[in-house]
Amino acid sequence: MTDLAQPERRFREVARGALGRQGTQAALAAATGRLREARLSAWADLPDAEELRERAHRIRMRAIDDLDRYLDEFEHAAVAAGATVHRAATAAEARELVVGICRDAGAQLVAKSKSMATEEIALNDGLEQAGIRAVETDLGEYILQLAGEHPVHIIAPAIEKTASQVAELLRGVDGIDVRPELEDLTATARRQLRQVFLDADVGVTGVNFGIAETGSICLVTNEGNGRLVSSLPRVHVALMGIERVVPRLEDLPVLLKLLARSGTGQRLTTYTTLITGPRRPGETDGPEQLHIVLLDNGRSGLRRGRYREMLACIRCGACLNVCPVYRRAGGGAYGPVYSGPMGAVLAPLLVGLERAPALPHASSLCGACTDSCPVKIPLHELLLDLRRDLVSEGVASRAERLGFWLWSWAWSSPRGYRASTGLARLGQRFGRLAGPGRAWSAGRELPRLAPRRFRDRR
Amino acid sequence: MSTASRVQLFATCLGDLICPDAVADAETLLRDSGFDVEFPGGQVCCGQPAFNAGHHGAARRVARTFAASFSRAAPVVVPSGSCATMLTRYLPELLGCEPFDVWELSAFLDRHDARVAASNAGRTLAYHDSCHLLRELGVSEQPRRLLERSGATLRPLERPDLCCGFGGTFSVRQPEVSVAMADDKLASAGDAEALVTADPGCLLQLRGRRERRGEGPRVVHLATALARGVA
Repeated sequence: MTDLAQPERRFREVARGALGRQGTQAALAAATGRLREARLSAWADLPDAEELRERAHRIRMRAIDDLDRYLDEFEHAAVAAGATVHRAATAAEARELVVGICRDAGAQLVAKSKSMATEEIALNDGLEQAGIRAVETDLGEYILQLAGEHPVHIIAPAIEKTASQVAELLRGVDGIDVRPELEDLTATARRQLRQVFLDADVGVTGVNFGIAETGSICLVTNEGNGRLVSSLPRVHVALMGIERVVPRLEDLPVLLKLLARSGTGQRLTTYTTLITGPRRPGETDGPEQLHIVLLDNGRSGLRRGRYREMLACIRCGACLNVCPVYRRAGGGAYGPVYSGPMGAVLAPLLVGLERAPALPHASSLCGACTDSCPVKIPLHELLLDLRRDLVSEGVASRAERLGFWLWSWAWSSPRGYRASTGLARLGQRFGRLAGPGRAWSAGRELPRLAPRRFRDRR
Repeated sequence: MSTASRVQLFATCLGDLICPDAVADAETLLRDSGFDVEFPGGQVCCGQPAFNAGHHGAARRVARTFAASFSRAAPVVVPSGSCATMLTRYLPELLGCEPFDVWELSAFLDRHDARVAASNAGRTLAYHDSCHLLRELGVSEQPRRLLERSGATLRPLERPDLCCGFGGTFSVRQPEVSVAMADDKLASAGDAEALVTADPGCLLQLRGRRERRGEGPRVVHLATALARGVA
């Protein structure tokens, strides 16, 4: 089962694996580099980029500050449009709800479009246990499902896969050979998925934004699969994190502009779908039922505190693409769902620091993430605050706390500083034998303490 | 000399212990530009190593040595972008005290049209932006301008936005990723004669990796590059 929890050592172990695979390293550098450049050039033609970021921040924070009200408003309007709205407090509750809806619909096949929220609640496992087949229809997600793996990037889930790996996976579906060329690969996936769209009893999607004013949900995709999944099957289930609500329809263009530009460098995503209720009497297409499941899973607890700005995240992936740590460690190191700087902040907040203690430290605090964020979330400062919480909540190890305490005790006076650094000079050749010195010197020479400190030369 | 030209030099712990020559070079640059350089003897460290690791109590204990040693009556000049960031952005709140007038060395020299000798005439150098200096303090043009005034031709790095991988305790918590990031940075300097940085932290990281690999550009502190040239 998917779980956002991330044991202390796992980041380092998975990152080490990624560093050892040349193909993965090349794919990471190329994909993040390409997405970053696309973003920079898309932003360059916005005359008022900074003002737009400020506006987007305000829109998101207005929704977060008054979340209960906007959620009620959203629910009311959605129900008035004919949708059924469910609320799920936990991932398990949401999973049961969605599986229940599928079961009630007599579903045998569920078509899914890309949704990180469904990853968060491990929906595919839940459906499988209920004997219902779920098929991912986003190309990247489809590839990963065939490989039995989790997404490594929130908008480009399979970036670590090479074309020949993808060709091999697609051949495994129907035994038909496919050349490892982009066009052939997409044509094959299209052929394989077409029948899924037609046969699916239920379509499951995420939600990019929910509009309180109209009860509409907005979906953006580049492959059009979101539109097929939400209109062809008899039943459409949309899973929406409660923080995805925006107050008014007029707020949407600002966010869509920034989302597309920040994620892929497009001015607008290829397919932007606004759905208000299910098929109405007299209409010829659309699902008979629309279920919107509002997922809390730890989010409402963040509304008032220091970390409330994290709820403003629009999942564009810009922070992943600029992060020098993500670029090398890869997405898997952060855990099975959210990755990069946004994941390093969000995952511990959702599951608790003690269950993801390495993530706040999985950053050099360079601040590139904060600079890139279209809604101005101070990501690296939130990481810094999470580190403080690791210490104050007693999650940081006893050895670490003792180490810093001793250090601060010695360095709380010039005399203690002189004495301790004098001792360190005597013992420095043993520095590489244990602890931080050992970790440092595995790949680097330890710095030598100068024979005379600067202060001693005066 | 008037009080206006008095400056206080903060060596920083890494400067004092690991690269005292660079601190001496910073002092020379300041003196050559007509400043009266004072070295407050009670100084130790700004507390950043603990602060960035989340240990605010420990950070506060150490940061107090700074507040006790320095005066608010004259500028504090620091040959380190990250310590300057700690002192300006975080220390006042951490200690609940009034801010100090803190300047990173290159920003200070540039602001005062410092005299720079032609110590790098004919040389091709690369400049590495340390993250805090670049993003927190917004200092990127000043060190480049100074290096160009010293006669150097600057070879732009392909990805100047990428961190060198030091990041304080990050360097030992995630040593493999940290080292890979250093490799990226060293490789991007290409055929530059030296890679210049304004931060002792980056210096430690990049130098340590270069020494281990036995190849790559030499890594030199900005103060040294300006005062004596990179040779």
